[in-house]
Amino acid sequence: MSSSAVEGETPDLVCELDNVQGIVDALTSVRWKRHQDAVVELSEHGIVIIVEEISCLQAKVYLQRELFVRYEYGARGRPRFGVSLGLFVDCLKTFSVPGHSNILEIQYPGPDMQLLLKSIDSVDACLYAEVRTRIPETVSWDYNFEPAGSIPLSFTVKSAALKEAIDDLEWPGSSIQIILQPDPPSVTFRGEGHGDLQIDFNYYANSELLIAFSCDRQISHSYKYKFLRATTSNIPSSVIKDNRGSKLTIGRGGMLKVQHLVSVAKLSAPHNHVDSAGYQQPSRIAYIEFFVKPEVEDDTGSDS
Amino acid sequence: MKFKAFLTENGINLLEKRILPALDKMGKISHLYLTRDHAIFLHNLLNGHGIQSIAQFKKEAIFEDYKISSQNDDKIAFSIDLSLLHRALRSILTIYAESGEAHNPSEFNFGRLQIKLVKKFPPHSNQPMPFLTLETKGSKSAVVQDVPISKPLSRADVQELQMALDGAQEMPKTLVKVSELNSLQNFVDRMKHVGDVMGVSISKYGDLHLQISTTSITLGAEFRKLMVIGERTDGRPEDGNLSAQSRTERAVQRGDAMTVQGSCLTVIFQFFIPGTRQTDKSISLHCRLPVLDPGSN
Repeated sequence: MSSSAVEGETPDLVCELDNVQGIVDALTSVRWKRHQDAVVELSEHGIVIIVEEISCLQAKVYLQRELFVRYEYGARGRPRFGVSLGLFVDCLKTFSVPGHSNILEIQYPGPDMQLLLKSIDSVDACLYAEVRTRIPETVSWDYNFEPAGSIPLSFTVKSAALKEAIDDLEWPGSSIQIILQPDPPSVTFRGEGHGDLQIDFNYYANSELLIAFSCDRQISHSYKYKFLRATTSNIPSSVIKDNRGSKLTIGRGGMLKVQHLVSVAKLSAPHNHVDSAGYQQPSRIAYIEFFVKPEVEDDTGSDS
Repeated sequence: MKFKAFLTENGINLLEKRILPALDKMGKISHLYLTRDHAIFLHNLLNGHGIQSIAQFKKEAIFEDYKISSQNDDKIAFSIDLSLLHRALRSILTIYAESGEAHNPSEFNFGRLQIKLVKKFPPHSNQPMPFLTLETKGSKSAVVQDVPISKPLSRADVQELQMALDGAQEMPKTLVKVSELNSLQNFVDRMKHVGDVMGVSISKYGDLHLQISTTSITLGAEFRKLMVIGERTDGRPEDGNLSAQSRTERAVQRGDAMTVQGSCLTVIFQFFIPGTRQTDKSISLHCRLPVLDPGSN
């Protein structure tokens, strides 16, 4: 691919960000191992970054176009490319200056199909990067998430509490059972391995932690500990401090969906954050979804 | 061979808070070279490996009642473990801070912190060993810290050190002044996650260009219109719209920029008199980073 191939054509995407750290936080949340390939998908609605552990675990970060101060989409269809997630995050980090609001321009593709990044807020100091992209691998299995019935099986728990619970379950390890039951409404995480550990969230007793609950029948599925852990272990502490909730939903066949929200609000006076009690415009939130496949089912799971 | 002096309060603060922590990062072991007028910490000047650094202090910047004598024109040099020196200094300060609070702070006399070269018999040994001793005498207690040092360098070695010192202080033709050291440091700190080897170019127009380039990523930073010290040329207006990379390439082709290669990158830190923007000329810190063989990365 020579540079002339792209010359004169509009790039697929030119966009500008004013909160690089928010994007770094969002992407760090899905970085569960050192060398990880990600697939980036561009559309007129925004950017989706997909990471997966073949046939077990998939994570998606949705960066909607509303998160960008400028979003010019010039492609037909939905271009996809592969990048190394770790490299991309480390590269973005160099553009994020603590306590300083700066503007980053992202463009795809460059003359050699690179992802181009450039700081554009100062005339006399410029940071730039060219990240080599790859032809994306096909996503190995379809994570079509379907509800398990007419009433969704879901609960929302404070992210910090969820992370703490999952961290605690490291001790029994291996396999973790998640049980939802409607009467009394409660969620149980049970680990059996080197020992037994059970963590209960009771909707009435822990309304501070268990914010929402929806379930019409008892259901239980088991998940590999290391995949469950990947859904919370890398969320930066700054995000945990925002005190949001994470939503967990069990779908058909026991597929677990874990959703987190990461603020990508423009950095303003740090006090605003506290005054507004965690409220942010909904448009400045990055959505993160994890899909975890259950372990081979016992009979309590619904069929797929 | 004798050396004896008192550390001033400024000197203690300077060493404990700023200089020793910084020098410790360049290497644990350093030469301390004392002359009639100067105290100089030198890293890697004799072996030539790794980062070379020279931190030079006029004796008044650290000491008072400075007394030195040796048969080698009153010059003494030895190796010292900087982390031990730092620990000894911190320990003495802690003891004094605590006893100062416990007793009557207003009347508390810091005493004076004496530093001297001594030979002592270490425990279970009948071989005397050289130490740099820090000693305070308060009204109620005395604290002595012995920091082990190497045998003093021979006359020939001191001469070699002096020659290396003279050579290392040679100025490059063009220097640029980076006033926002923090942002540069932040950036370089973050860059190191992306790659190990960094290219550095400096132009006579006052541009500093840093770049890491690997098979999967190119990451760079260009800081323009910095103050130029030494040889300078006016920038080319036609280069204004180029990318940082092309601008640097052109400047190198024209001979207006140097990509650091062959020898070393010289970094000179200026110190301000605390609370002012005035350069403190009694302190200087020069570092020279050896350049990697471009073929070896």
